[in-house]
Amino acid sequence: MNQVASLLIALPLISAFFVPVLKQINKSLIKPYLVLITLIQTGIAGWVFKEVYTTGKPIIIYAGGWRPPIGINLYIGHFAALFVLIIALVSFIMAIFSLKAVTTEPIDKYAMLFLLLMLGATGMIATGDIFNLFVFMEITAITAYALTAYNKTGEAAEASMKYIVLGGIGSSFFLVGVALLYGATGTLNMAQLAELANSINPIVAQVGLALIMFGLAVEAELFPLNAWAPDAYQAAPHPITAMFSAFVVKAGIYALARLLYLLQKASGWSSLLRLLVIMATLTVVFAELSALRQKDVKRMIAYSSIGQIGLIALAFSLGTQAGVDAGVFHMVNHAIVKALLFLAIGYVGLTVGGTTMENFEGLGKRMPLTALAITVAGVATVGVPLFNVFWSKLKIILATLQAGFFWAAVLVLFASVVEAVYYFRLIHRMWFMGGGTRIKEGAIAGILIILVAIIIIIGVDPAPVWNIVVKAGSDIFNVANYVKNVPLMGVGA
Amino acid sequence: MISAYYFGAIALILIGLYAVLVKKNLLKILIGLSIMETGVNLLLISIGYVSGKSAPILSESITPSQAVDPIPQALVLTAIVIGVATTAMALSVAIILYEKYGTLNIEEVRRLRG
Repeated sequence: MNQVASLLIALPLISAFFVPVLKQINKSLIKPYLVLITLIQTGIAGWVFKEVYTTGKPIIIYAGGWRPPIGINLYIGHFAALFVLIIALVSFIMAIFSLKAVTTEPIDKYAMLFLLLMLGATGMIATGDIFNLFVFMEITAITAYALTAYNKTGEAAEASMKYIVLGGIGSSFFLVGVALLYGATGTLNMAQLAELANSINPIVAQVGLALIMFGLAVEAELFPLNAWAPDAYQAAPHPITAMFSAFVVKAGIYALARLLYLLQKASGWSSLLRLLVIMATLTVVFAELSALRQKDVKRMIAYSSIGQIGLIALAFSLGTQAGVDAGVFHMVNHAIVKALLFLAIGYVGLTVGGTTMENFEGLGKRMPLTALAITVAGVATVGVPLFNVFWSKLKIILATLQAGFFWAAVLVLFASVVEAVYYFRLIHRMWFMGGGTRIKEGAIAGILIILVAIIIIIGVDPAPVWNIVVKAGSDIFNVANYVKNVPLMGVGA
Repeated sequence: MISAYYFGAIALILIGLYAVLVKKNLLKILIGLSIMETGVNLLLISIGYVSGKSAPILSESITPSQAVDPIPQALVLTAIVIGVATTAMALSVAIILYEKYGTLNIEEVRRLRG
C-alpha cells in the first residue's frame, strides 16, 4: 500500500508525456488538464502526509524491489511528506493562476515544463540516493532554464542564459563532488554514506563536501552564486516566479542541509558549517540592501526572497537541533508568504500591465483586495508579531544566539530593518499615493484571501504548525534515526 | 605520482572553467561548459577503472571478478545525456539572444540591471 506514494513521481511524469497527445486533440483542454493533475497530486501528497504523521514512520519506496544500497530508494519522512504537500499545493494554486496568466505563448510546452518542474522538486525532496538527487536536480534546473526563457523577450533570454551558465558550472562541480565521495566510499546511498562518513579520508571528505555545497548553492541562491536569481525572477512568467521562490529554491537548500547533516561525522565538517554561516549572512545582507534601491516591484520581491532564503540557510548551518527546526519553520512560512506575494504582484502586473513602482500607486483604491494581500504579505515578511514569519524569524535569531554567532544575529536583524524600509515604502505608495477607479478583481482574489487567512492563523497560533515542524526538523537533524529507518542490505564496503 | 587519467580529467575541467570565466563570446563560454562536462565525465569513468580489467559485460570469457566497476559507467551515461540537454537548451537561448540583441558579446548583453 505504501508503494502508492511512488505516484508522487510517476503521476507528473506520465501526465507530462500526455500533454503533446492532448494538444493534438484539443488545445483548450491543456490548462484545465494542468489544474486537474496538480489537484490529484495534491490529493496523493495529502494522503502521504496523513499517513506519515499518523504512523510516525517514514514511507520508504524501493525502485524495482531492490533494497538499498543496491537499488535507489525514496525516503518520504516527516520532512519530505510536509514539503511534498507544500509543493503540490503551490503548484495547484499556480496552475489555477496560469489559466489567466499565461495566454500568449505555446501552452503545451508550458504545461509540460510546469509538470516536470513539480516532478523535479518532489524528487529532490524525496530521494535517498545522492546521484538520483543530481538527476532530479538537473530535471528541475533544465525545466527552470526553459521556463525562465519562456516569454521569448530579450530580457528573458538574458536571464535564462545567466542561469544556464551558472547552473552548468554548479552541476559540474556537484558531480565532481559525487565522484569524489563515491571514489572514497564506494556507495551512492545516503544512509550508507552516513554510516561510512567517519572513515572517509579527511581531505577527500572536505573537498567532496565543499564541491557539493558549491554546486547546490547555485540552486539555493547563496551569496556569491545568486546573481542569476533576481534576473530569472523578473523575467520568468508570473506563476513560475512564485514556484521558483516557493519550492525550487527550497528543494536546493533542503538537499544542502540533508547532505551536510548526513556527513556530520566526517572530519572538517565544522569548518564547512562556519563557511556556510558566513555565506548565508552575506546573502541576507546583500539581498536586502539590493532590494532597497529597486524600481521594479517584482525584482524587489525577488531580492527579498533571496534574503529570506539566506535566513533559512543560516538556520540550517548552525549545526544545532533548534536551528534546524527554526529553519524548517521558516521554509514553510516563507513558501506561503512568497507564493501569496508573487501571486498578487503577478496579478497586478497582468491587469495593469507591468510591475514597475508607478503601476502600484493608488492600488489600494483600484484593487483593494490585492493591495490588502500584498500589504499583509509584506508586513508578515518583515516579521511583525501576529503574523507567521515573526515566530520563525524569532526562533532563527534565538537559535543563532544560542549557537554563539552574535555577529550573524546582529547582521540579520539589521537586514530586517532594511527590509521593513522598502516594504513599508511600497505599502505607503499603494495606499496613500495616486488614485484611480476600481478594477474588478476576479477569482484570484478568493485564493489571495485564503492565503492571507492562513498567514494570520499561523501567526496567532503557531503551536500546531510548530509541532509538525519539530518532527520534520528532527528528520533532518537526527541522522542515526534516518540510517536506522533505511534497511540496508549487508553488501558493499 | 598522480595517474594521467585524473590529471587529464581535472585539466579539462579547469580549461573549461577558464573559458567560462575569461571569454567574452557567448558561444565560447558554452564551449567551455561543454569541455567542463567532458572533464567531469572522464573523471567519473576513471574513478571506476581497475587496472587491467575488461568491460563490465558478462559473457563466457569474462566473469564479474574480471570487470571494471560498472556503476560509474551508468552514472556517466546519465550525465552525458544531461550535458547534451543543457547544451541544446543553452544554444537555443543563445539563438534568441542573438535575434533580440544582435550580438553575442556578453558585455553588451546587459539589459537587466540593479
